[in-house]
Amino acid sequence: MINDVSISYLIFLMPLLVFAINGLFLGRKSDKAAAAFAVAGNGIAMVSALIVAVHYFSSTFAPQKAVLFDFPFLSFAENFAAKIGLLIDPLSVMMLVVVTVISFLVNIYSIGYMRGDRSAGRFFSILSLFSFSMLGLVAATNLFQMFIFWELVGVSSYLLIGFWYHKPSAVSASKQAFILTRFADSFFLLGIVIVSYVVQSFDFFTLNGLTLAAFKKETIDLGLMVVSKADALIIGSILIFTGGWGKSAMFPMHIWLPNAMEGPTPVSSIIHSATMVVAGVYLVARLFPFFAVCGNSLTLIMWVGAFTMIFAAVIACTQKDIKRILAYSTLSQLGYMMFALGACKTGDAVIATGWTASTFHIFTHAFFKCALFLIAGSLIHQVHTNDLDAMGGLRKKMPLTYWSSLICVLAIAGIPPFSGFFSKDEIILAAFQGHHYVVFGLAILTSGLTTFYMFRLFFLAFHGAPRSESVKQGHVHEDFFMTLPIVILAVPALLSGLLGKGIFEHYFVPGRLRVPQLVLLPHAEWIPYVAVAVAAVALLIAWFFYASPKAKVERALDESNRSALYKVVYHKFYFDEMYYAVVRQFVIGGIARVARFIQDYIIEGILAFCIWFIHKLGDLVRYAQGGNLSFYLGTLIIGVLLWRFLGQLPF
Amino acid sequence: MYIPNFIIPDLLLLLFPFIVIGSRLFCTDRSKVPWRIANIGFIAIFVLLNFIPLSGGVGRFFITNWHIDDFGVLMREVLMVSAILGIWLAKDYFEHGGDGKPAMHQIAEFIGTVAFATFGGFTVVSACDLLTFFLGLEIATIPMYALAAWNKRDQYGSEAATKYILMGSVATAFELFGFSYLYGFAGSIHFDSIQHAVASGSSPLLWIAVLFLFAGIGFKLTLFPFYTWAPDVYEGAPTPVTAILSVTSKATAIAFLVVLVYGPLSPIKEQVAPFIALLAGTTLFVGNLGALKQSRLRRFMAYSSIAQAGYIMVALLGDAVMGKTAIIYYLFVYAISNYLAFFIFGIIGHHREETFDSLRGLSKQKPTLAIALAVAMFSLAGIPPLAGFFGKFHLFFSGASTGHYGIVAFAVLNNVLALYYYLQLIKSAWIDDTDEHLNPLRMTKRQRNVIVLLTVAVIVLGVLPFLSDNIFAGFTF
Repeated sequence: MINDVSISYLIFLMPLLVFAINGLFLGRKSDKAAAAFAVAGNGIAMVSALIVAVHYFSSTFAPQKAVLFDFPFLSFAENFAAKIGLLIDPLSVMMLVVVTVISFLVNIYSIGYMRGDRSAGRFFSILSLFSFSMLGLVAATNLFQMFIFWELVGVSSYLLIGFWYHKPSAVSASKQAFILTRFADSFFLLGIVIVSYVVQSFDFFTLNGLTLAAFKKETIDLGLMVVSKADALIIGSILIFTGGWGKSAMFPMHIWLPNAMEGPTPVSSIIHSATMVVAGVYLVARLFPFFAVCGNSLTLIMWVGAFTMIFAAVIACTQKDIKRILAYSTLSQLGYMMFALGACKTGDAVIATGWTASTFHIFTHAFFKCALFLIAGSLIHQVHTNDLDAMGGLRKKMPLTYWSSLICVLAIAGIPPFSGFFSKDEIILAAFQGHHYVVFGLAILTSGLTTFYMFRLFFLAFHGAPRSESVKQGHVHEDFFMTLPIVILAVPALLSGLLGKGIFEHYFVPGRLRVPQLVLLPHAEWIPYVAVAVAAVALLIAWFFYASPKAKVERALDESNRSALYKVVYHKFYFDEMYYAVVRQFVIGGIARVARFIQDYIIEGILAFCIWFIHKLGDLVRYAQGGNLSFYLGTLIIGVLLWRFLGQLPF
Repeated sequence: MYIPNFIIPDLLLLLFPFIVIGSRLFCTDRSKVPWRIANIGFIAIFVLLNFIPLSGGVGRFFITNWHIDDFGVLMREVLMVSAILGIWLAKDYFEHGGDGKPAMHQIAEFIGTVAFATFGGFTVVSACDLLTFFLGLEIATIPMYALAAWNKRDQYGSEAATKYILMGSVATAFELFGFSYLYGFAGSIHFDSIQHAVASGSSPLLWIAVLFLFAGIGFKLTLFPFYTWAPDVYEGAPTPVTAILSVTSKATAIAFLVVLVYGPLSPIKEQVAPFIALLAGTTLFVGNLGALKQSRLRRFMAYSSIAQAGYIMVALLGDAVMGKTAIIYYLFVYAISNYLAFFIFGIIGHHREETFDSLRGLSKQKPTLAIALAVAMFSLAGIPPLAGFFGKFHLFFSGASTGHYGIVAFAVLNNVLALYYYLQLIKSAWIDDTDEHLNPLRMTKRQRNVIVLLTVAVIVLGVLPFLSDNIFAGFTF
């Protein structure tokens, strides 16, 4: 493994160099040079990551952990220092590969997408900073390093989402994303403070090797109450998870993610596949043994994930903005990964299937989701709208894009032998094995919904008659730089599941687990059949509505709501009409409306109230600052009296 | 008489204002000699301070009543950094005014006054008895009154200074009242005897003393609700004075509390802790609230520094080593970030009004300035990997180490609020469109160099924080 040190530093150095050189010099001089340098730099990083991965997995060393370098960064006490290092284990190697590959391809894509943008140089610079931050996060050996890069990811996403700062919506979206994730991060920081103070270490090895028994006897004062150190660790673990909760946009902190669509599409693509939102799942996966010993925190994680999964899938069925559909689908897929991690715990015992499945799904999802966003970007670039209403009939005009997106849609729908099938199947299996039958049912249901909304998107975009002038007049074409990464990504979208399955099942097991593990797992060979059958039915429904010769796409897209009874009667009980009515009025109009209501009024309402309240308090503070000296002098006296009674001084 | 090495910087600083002011007698008004002497002197003192080896343990005494320990030495360095940056910032204001005010006069006296204020800070961290302690605080404060009114032709400055001195006098009265009760309780003015007396039992006398001491120092540290003077004075005083006020004055005040809490009052620290936590929490919350919707830059910085004072208070909850380390480190970081912001505002203020609107389009006209501004704001907001984050982490960690998670959680959450208003500033500089009516900006060579130096310092201290570990090598109290 020593040889890899010389290569591995390139993985981090190149994006950083690209950031610095493009940001300071090249970006201002020539956009083309900046783009070329960004592609080259990220290419070198990708090749180094691949070499490290091949070395690692082909050596006999493989499932073990290695710390390639680690140097003290900031010492708090003699034996207690925050370090910066590079951790090598199956999980981090996998993520290094995913991040560098995706970032390389997105850089190529951006050449086409950002062509003619007046600050393309700045874009390439920040994009590299983004992938650098994520790489640092992935390679972290300890919580402190992770947090630093975690925040850097937040900062660079802020810069990227608000990249088109002349659009007010982009500015407010970037601010929302930054402040909301930072709100969650403050709990993360608090969790780090508590946990590291109890354990006296930031190190993942130490944290993952803990048993709570040793901490049961000692107590610690949390200010509000005195608890045993073991309980403090459980509280800390939930606080740490809250960081991932926000970053991975789990309900109810998901609202920033769909709004983050305001950024350029390559940014959405990289945020949704390899960086940023995956960070939360990665955090839980990285600290999995720690979460496993910490009481029921895994159960919380499971429910948060499962709810987000179904909630986002329902909303995705009702959207017409192509990027928003994909955003909600990411939420739903992240929910899968999150609940798979949480579902590992059953009673006091733990099964590792979910962990393997979740990391596997991170891997496969990255490719097809990245490709899907790039495809969406291509479509938007050609049709100049996000709206599915204005698309349609693009199959002939963009054949390569069409076939690639078919592969990706099949992959996300979980149809064998496409990649998503393998990972999703394992996730569903994990829920079943953990005896979480409700979640299991939800997962199957969501899998059907996923297929439905993805094929809805697919059929509406590519099939049928063109619904916009530019498509009809034939201005649409495929851009080389934009199509190339899509086609390249279609390959892993097709094959990564089949080829990766072996590696993941062999190497990917969570670190030292200090809880009893289930050895006897229920066999459930029927699960894949059920999942595929559900997906196939959903596919057929989508086809029936949006692509079959009889489909009335205009009606399906029609927003005006007539009463169900009226339609049924008017159309003489035609089966399809009745179905439209049921689907529209009940499923979309009922459940989805409730889901939308929760999001628009309750969550955003609470948020709006907090903001209003804080602004009012701020007004009060400013009002008191009237410039009246007598009043100021009065505050001195009042202050003394105030603290005399409220200062908790014992007299 | 034998003069030990470690006292030389203090003596130099004491002599120094007389030399600078005296040199004016022998040269013309336009002469640069006093300015050069000032620079050489301040930098020499700072360098000499760095040569004092950190001893660990109890520290050393000079004539039994002048105590120099590691905390004292490092605080002296912070104060000197602040003084050096302060006069550098002020220099341009003697050539042409800023923020629509006329230019200032008498640079030599100005520098001398800053030196006196700094010496007051030195005295506070060296005191072993209440009398010296009180004198130090007054030496640090009275020059500030004069500095606030330095621009005699500016009526707002005079108004601000009047408010400042009136309220300051009341606070001093509180302070003295507290000291007298403390003396009455302990029967001695020496810290060791007081500590002994405090350890052996408490009485209401002691608690009244504590209450009034905190109220008095709360004025200087801008704690809630004693902060009311700050926004007005910060806005009325000349910009460099505002910067000096927000760093030197605040550092002196927090040093005062550190000396008190970890010295004579250390036996009752546990009982005072809830009070400190309450002060910290209310102060940082009110500071953050006040900063939300400001449009004037200096008023904004006033509220921001009120909030920062609250954050610093959190560290006082920790034990001695951790708390002092956190406070020193944070003061360094805070001084650098704050002066960076003030240098930028100074450049803006020389050519435009000091408002948020004047920042519009900064990223297009002066990208260097805009980057520096973003660095300063992100550092103050505590975003890694900038220095401010590590500073804040030390503060929070110190507070949490004694189990005050409630206040730490509150402070961390407040950081989100702080991020919001720092982002407002960045938004003005980076996102808002250029206003054609704004005057163009020009930087002098000194301004450019200092801004680059401070920006690099903020980044490097963040990226390589172990560099500052050298400051703490063998750093035990």
